Amino acid sequence: MRKACIIFLSIVLTICLSMVGFSSSSFAKEKSVVYLSLADYTGPIAGLNVPADKGTEDYIKDINAKGGVDGVKIKFIGIDTRYDVARAVSAYKRYRRTPKLLVVNSIGTGIARAVGRLLVRDKRVQLTPGDGEFQAHLGSTFIWGPAYQDAFAASMDWVIDDWKSKGKSGAPVVGYLNWDNAYGREHLRGGKQYAKKLGIKMLPPEFFPPGTLKHDVYLTRLAKAGANYIHAGGIDPTPTNVIRDAYALGLTKKIQFTTGYWGPTALGLSVHAKALEGIVNYSFFLRGEDTKMNKAVTDLWKKYRGSLDKLNGVYGMGIAWGMTYVGALKIALNSVGYEKLKGVDMYKAYQSITGFERAGIQGPCAYASDSRRGSREIKIYRVKGGKIVPITGWQKTPDAVSLHKF
Amino acid sequence: MRIFKVIMLFVIIPGLALGAISCQTLKSLTGPKATLVIAPAEVFLSPALFKKPVTFKGSGFQPKEMISVEMVLPPGLKMKGIKEGEDVGIAFATADENGNFTAAMAPTATLNWFFQVGWTPLLRPNFKAAKPIPPGVYKINATGLDSDRIATSNLKIVPPPKKK
Repeated sequence: MRKACIIFLSIVLTICLSMVGFSSSSFAKEKSVVYLSLADYTGPIAGLNVPADKGTEDYIKDINAKGGVDGVKIKFIGIDTRYDVARAVSAYKRYRRTPKLLVVNSIGTGIARAVGRLLVRDKRVQLTPGDGEFQAHLGSTFIWGPAYQDAFAASMDWVIDDWKSKGKSGAPVVGYLNWDNAYGREHLRGGKQYAKKLGIKMLPPEFFPPGTLKHDVYLTRLAKAGANYIHAGGIDPTPTNVIRDAYALGLTKKIQFTTGYWGPTALGLSVHAKALEGIVNYSFFLRGEDTKMNKAVTDLWKKYRGSLDKLNGVYGMGIAWGMTYVGALKIALNSVGYEKLKGVDMYKAYQSITGFERAGIQGPCAYASDSRRGSREIKIYRVKGGKIVPITGWQKTPDAVSLHKF
Repeated sequence: MRIFKVIMLFVIIPGLALGAISCQTLKSLTGPKATLVIAPAEVFLSPALFKKPVTFKGSGFQPKEMISVEMVLPPGLKMKGIKEGEDVGIAFATADENGNFTAAMAPTATLNWFFQVGWTPLLRPNFKAAKPIPPGVYKINATGLDSDRIATSNLKIVPPPKKK
């Protein structure tokens, strides 16, 4: 009887220990960490997000093929939110208890604001486009490059230089046209004040809903008000279509059009090259001909995607996200090791990666304890002969975030 | 007698440990019972849903916590962007000081998950590529993202009325 009891208890103990043992990460076969992308693959901004995430995914694939980061493999999880905030919140809920989930990339400002609240609680890093608010109120959300308003301010510096180089006197008049949403207004939250400091006369901004078919009414109003320059916002193909309408109205001959981060890429050029000729674009990541000259980008594209015909500049931006993640992961692993690694260690690592280089795809990393900007530099491009070519080198952007009260 | 001590050691203690682990699950069962009311509880797909979207009202959640409202997809129902077995988030809200919330489906959610539209390069919904969700009774869960409390209700999607 006693022997039977001991056998029975041994079995119970073995089962208990097995349950504890198998649930413990120390028994896991492979050391891995997770990168979650709350993306848009089939929704309204899929055209930009798909190539960007391809860049991140390919870069991570390449790092894993080389053995990972100090033996730690990275798992890329891409979720198609279709640019829908409720879906993004629900998707994060599903993955928030994933072991070693360190960073979440939220594709839109609306998603970032909603999911960001949960990420603060979960002590994880969030990446998001360019909302200056995340620089004004420092937290665990980091933006990809300079804030929208910083880059817009830098473009105003260029406007002044361009105006002077044409021998014009006085200050130019600038019109602003963008989507009627938080992103569309963000550039002006500090950007408007910066332009005023330069003596630029900013016309009352024109906002329109995403999906607007024709932009004639807004363009005509700005032209009649005497605009010398017009910033065409939105996410491509919107800027391309705004300029297409301006070209049809004959406005591109007398007004210089500028576009921002999400301005025309190879896609817009392939459809409206004639209309886009001469327009100016500013970007925190390499575009157009520059992208084709960057070996890190082209090598990875050729390895995983084949011919360079369809290479899009945003693919490079995605690679830069991956590079930053890997760079920070190295710091975090050095600091606490794999077993103790948590989101908060990655948060600390992102703040100590200041100056990190990403193969020249964008300026040096500017993340720091007092900075959530992914970099401080932009480059200015112009469409010439159907190609997007640089007309400046990397230029440091002014701090326009501090000019607005958030 | 000694044998009982051994039983205590090897059975009850691991049992307590497992019990502690499952406390996390039990957490959602304690506290007030969460409720969810859907208005209207029965709809048919039409453009009227953009003006008067489906609305969710809940109570019994933790004050100030975020709530995710999700539709449980029945097996075999394919939805663009959603993996099989995954629920789809259709609304979200923040509970007030009393743990109550109200959330309405945003137009993008109605377009993406009810009409399942495509999107044109102009960022306009493409109804030609739409695959509207089939009529049926769909389970809706509202989950408190801090408390893990879940309230459940049903939304009935009916075929549009026949034109006379």
